[in-house]
Amino acid sequence: MDLSLMAILLLIGSFITYFVSRSNKKVGSYLTILITLFALMYVYILKNNIGLTYELFGVITFKVTYLGWYFSIIMATVYFSAAFFNPFWMEKFLYPSQYNLMYLLSFLGTIGLFFSNDLLTIFIFWEITVWTSTFIIPLGKSRKAGVMYFVISSIGSMGLLFTLMLMYNKVGTLEISKVFNMLANEPKLASIVFVMFILSGLTKMGIFPFHIWLPQAHGNAPNTFSPVLSGGLVKMGGFITFLSVGVFPAYEAFKDGLHIAGIPILIYIMMLLGAVSIIVGTLMAIKSEDAKKLLAYSSVANGGYILIGILLADQLGLAGGMMHMLNHAFASAASFLAIAVVAYKTNTTKISELGGMIHKMPVTYTVFLISIISLAGIPPMGGFVSKWLIIQALADKGLLLIAFAAFFGSIGSFLYVFRPLSAVFLGQVAERNENLTPPSNMMRVPMIFLAGLVLYFGVLPRGVLEIIGKIQASVGITPVELNGQAIMAVNGNLDALKVFVIFGFGFVLALLLFLAFKKPRKVDLMDTYTSAEFIYTKELYHYAHDFYAPFERLYGNHPSVEKWADQISYKVKEVGDLVNKVFFNFNPSLSILWITVLIVIIYLGGVII
Amino acid sequence: MVLNDKDMRSAWEKVENYFQGSSIWMKWYCTGCGAIELPPTLTSRFDMERLGMGPMATPRQADILLITGYLSFKTLRRVIYSYEQMQEPKYIVAFGSCTVNGGIYYDSYSVMNRLDFYLPVDLYIAGCMPRPEAILNGFKELKSMIKAGKAEGYKKYKENYEWYRKNQIHSLKEVYVKDEFHE
Amino acid sequence: MNLINFLQAIGIVLFAFIFQTSLTGINRKITARIQRRRGPVWYQQFLDIFKALTKTSITHGWIYDFGVIMALGGIAATLMMVPIAGFESFPGMDNIFIITYLLAVGMLGMAMSASGSGNPWAAIGVSRALTSMLAYDIPFMLVMIGLIFKFDTASLSNFAALQQTGSIVTWNIIKYPIGGFVALISLQGMLGKKPFDNFIAPAEIASGPMVEYGGKHLGMLFILHELSTFIEVGLIVNIFFGGGPTVIAFLVKYVIVYTLTNMVSQVLARFKVDQMVMFYYKVPLALAFIQGFIIVITNSGGVLWF
Repeated sequence: MDLSLMAILLLIGSFITYFVSRSNKKVGSYLTILITLFALMYVYILKNNIGLTYELFGVITFKVTYLGWYFSIIMATVYFSAAFFNPFWMEKFLYPSQYNLMYLLSFLGTIGLFFSNDLLTIFIFWEITVWTSTFIIPLGKSRKAGVMYFVISSIGSMGLLFTLMLMYNKVGTLEISKVFNMLANEPKLASIVFVMFILSGLTKMGIFPFHIWLPQAHGNAPNTFSPVLSGGLVKMGGFITFLSVGVFPAYEAFKDGLHIAGIPILIYIMMLLGAVSIIVGTLMAIKSEDAKKLLAYSSVANGGYILIGILLADQLGLAGGMMHMLNHAFASAASFLAIAVVAYKTNTTKISELGGMIHKMPVTYTVFLISIISLAGIPPMGGFVSKWLIIQALADKGLLLIAFAAFFGSIGSFLYVFRPLSAVFLGQVAERNENLTPPSNMMRVPMIFLAGLVLYFGVLPRGVLEIIGKIQASVGITPVELNGQAIMAVNGNLDALKVFVIFGFGFVLALLLFLAFKKPRKVDLMDTYTSAEFIYTKELYHYAHDFYAPFERLYGNHPSVEKWADQISYKVKEVGDLVNKVFFNFNPSLSILWITVLIVIIYLGGVII
Repeated sequence: MVLNDKDMRSAWEKVENYFQGSSIWMKWYCTGCGAIELPPTLTSRFDMERLGMGPMATPRQADILLITGYLSFKTLRRVIYSYEQMQEPKYIVAFGSCTVNGGIYYDSYSVMNRLDFYLPVDLYIAGCMPRPEAILNGFKELKSMIKAGKAEGYKKYKENYEWYRKNQIHSLKEVYVKDEFHE
Repeated sequence: MNLINFLQAIGIVLFAFIFQTSLTGINRKITARIQRRRGPVWYQQFLDIFKALTKTSITHGWIYDFGVIMALGGIAATLMMVPIAGFESFPGMDNIFIITYLLAVGMLGMAMSASGSGNPWAAIGVSRALTSMLAYDIPFMLVMIGLIFKFDTASLSNFAALQQTGSIVTWNIIKYPIGGFVALISLQGMLGKKPFDNFIAPAEIASGPMVEYGGKHLGMLFILHELSTFIEVGLIVNIFFGGGPTVIAFLVKYVIVYTLTNMVSQVLARFKVDQMVMFYYKVPLALAFIQGFIIVITNSGGVLWF
């Protein structure tokens, strides 16, 4: 089971898909489903080859590790589920064959990234992914979103390139397990390399202040690629972050510096950035009027959780951060897919124009409900287990400010996940949406699959936690302790299966109580309490716009990173104009002045130097 | 003695009547000038809560509808709509002489004279307006009627629905209004 | 987990329901005496609930019924995990975070069902309820984090046991009075009592989420309210008041705490939602941070920077 063979097959397969899509778009999109399924099964079988290395074209080296396998399985599942939606959007795209090509090439980029064995391979596949996804995003609604995504990702790529060149100069090799070892004794060099290296992770995950590309890119990308962007590509940042505390000896290099509550100050500042991005993401999500932008801001907030969890780098926190990546990937992909179904049927994602979708698509509603219960971190879904782990780790260390941000994000997430549920799926049905047909089965299958995974990992988290334990052991951190289906922590235990069983038992009791009394009589939605006034227009009685108006008023005039970035770009433009006016003027007298100055410098330069 | 189905049902109905008579929620919606006597009945001096009664905001939650005083035809449409939104078992208590025979507005073109023709009334409380002591007396009587199973206004409404509807249409021409103010 | 545990769990739910409902009735009498009148009989709340359960009801769709069942199921499940004076039906499951998050299932179920009725009053009430949750939960959880860090345990029965070692001075409310004060203010918000009951607001938004409920849905919602009151006050009694070595001691402390919150609520007016959020984020949050920093600094021996 050769990994480099799979990479070559994927490459060839993507070009075949391109040529097939030129002749028949639909068949090309079915090919993407088959190719991603093939890759998913291949990666799953690779589990038996842990520890082997492969080589490709002499420059690229792969190594199969638990870490790479864990991330690749998540990516492959998300790509495979989202591929089912490709055939429905083929008529709406301007360049459908390019879309299929870029879809598969970005998939290749991510798989190659996770299995890399040296920094150069990471950089190559990082660039492949960024470039291919940049060309997919403008196929949706706006070109500016693609540009913004590319620019901010380039900041990360530059950080990665800087690290690469610096370490190659110092050490001579780029292999991941060896390249950072000498930094354990050099705190000053280590701080520079740490900041540059984790910068790429921060920009990709959308941590404050680099979060401005997320709502633009996720909100304006084509509806069938947003689940991949949010559930998949953001995890590349998580991979780099893990490397920056797991492989990079961050805690040892900084152990002589300033510490806050036992954590070195540079890492604490990064955690504070994560905490701020949780708060910013939550508050902006509560305010937003578009369902996809809301889910994009929720990705910002969850990225903050992942960053905090991974940077804690201990028994519980690291496990919490890694598991949160899996839960967020599946839940976010499932909710984006549900919104994509609604957008396919009604051609809009603006919350105030939708309503009452549960009566037309109950399966989509159930999938959306399960995914938002997981995003909010409520038992019995998966998000609760990972949030429990992160909060227990924070309570263990006594980090109050970050715990404040974690709780704020946790409870604030109830607010913003409930809003699309109530305003898009529940409530009154608008007149123009009265005659919608139910979505086809090909759309329902991946959603039910992802929702099932979300539920499964919430009830039986042992499988995931064992793999995470092996990842932790491979970087020298104590693995998380398991006992049956329970997670043992210092402060208390969590038995996810028992919680689910008790919840089911309570549900059965309530159901018996409900069924014991008289059967209710069904009544239309418009036959409702209106102080006995007679109402006939449905759109007027759907409460969707400005859902949290009293709360939003409290932070209405907030400073915004977009405006600050705009100001910086204006200043750069002004400096450029100034240089233009001074040095490149059409006025001949200025040119003669500069020529004279140059001659004087050359003449006197010999005297001075 | 063998308990058959009918006996069990009537025993269960007795239990239901006991509960429905001990805890009555009134709809906090008062139609005419008799409404002024309700807040004193509810608050500290005369304390309606002793009888297990309390106010509730919407017709879906309420048990009794109080017609306190005169009832203009405009309000009658809304009262009929509210009454049909209430859930069974439900009762109507009519205050004052306006509901009995029109009271001092008996010759007005916009006020109805006999509430009995439009909605089934379980209990009348006479007076113009009845004082809180009279209201408390009336509610005590209502409670004992409910517990004895004699307050069957809602069943009468269901059985004679056509007759009530004919009267309502005759006086109002349409119950659910749809014009340029109600779109 | 065998059949005995489940039967014990049903027993605890019934006991909590009967106890809390009687206590609510007695508190209605206390409220009446504060307002210089007589008030109903002490078992009036039982009569109200059973009357509501025996009425006929309407429904607006499957989500309207399902939400109520899910809410009551979640709250009943949470109640089965709360320890009463050392008696737990499911030992080892009483982690504070599990209980706090399972309470959110109840709120989510009710919110789903209320929005499914299609009434805008219900949606307004739900948005206010969720905003209030953001307000009162944060100071409470910060105090909890401080206490968990200090005692190295997150289990309720351990908290109760650690406070029963001495006399009254080992109670957390005496040792950490600031944290206890913040928790009592948060309790007022959690129970939805005045001045924090803007999400019910009968005359303003027509009782908020409950606007379309009648009959057995309303009865189940009342049961839900009683059970969640028991969970929340039980949480505070276990963490701050020592939990009681015997059941009688637990119940006495419970009665005192609940009656105190009821009496405070009867003399205060109602806040608006944004006023409530601003209130909770000023004084209680500051006090919670102060309490947390005191605990963290004294626990690490005063060495915070080196």
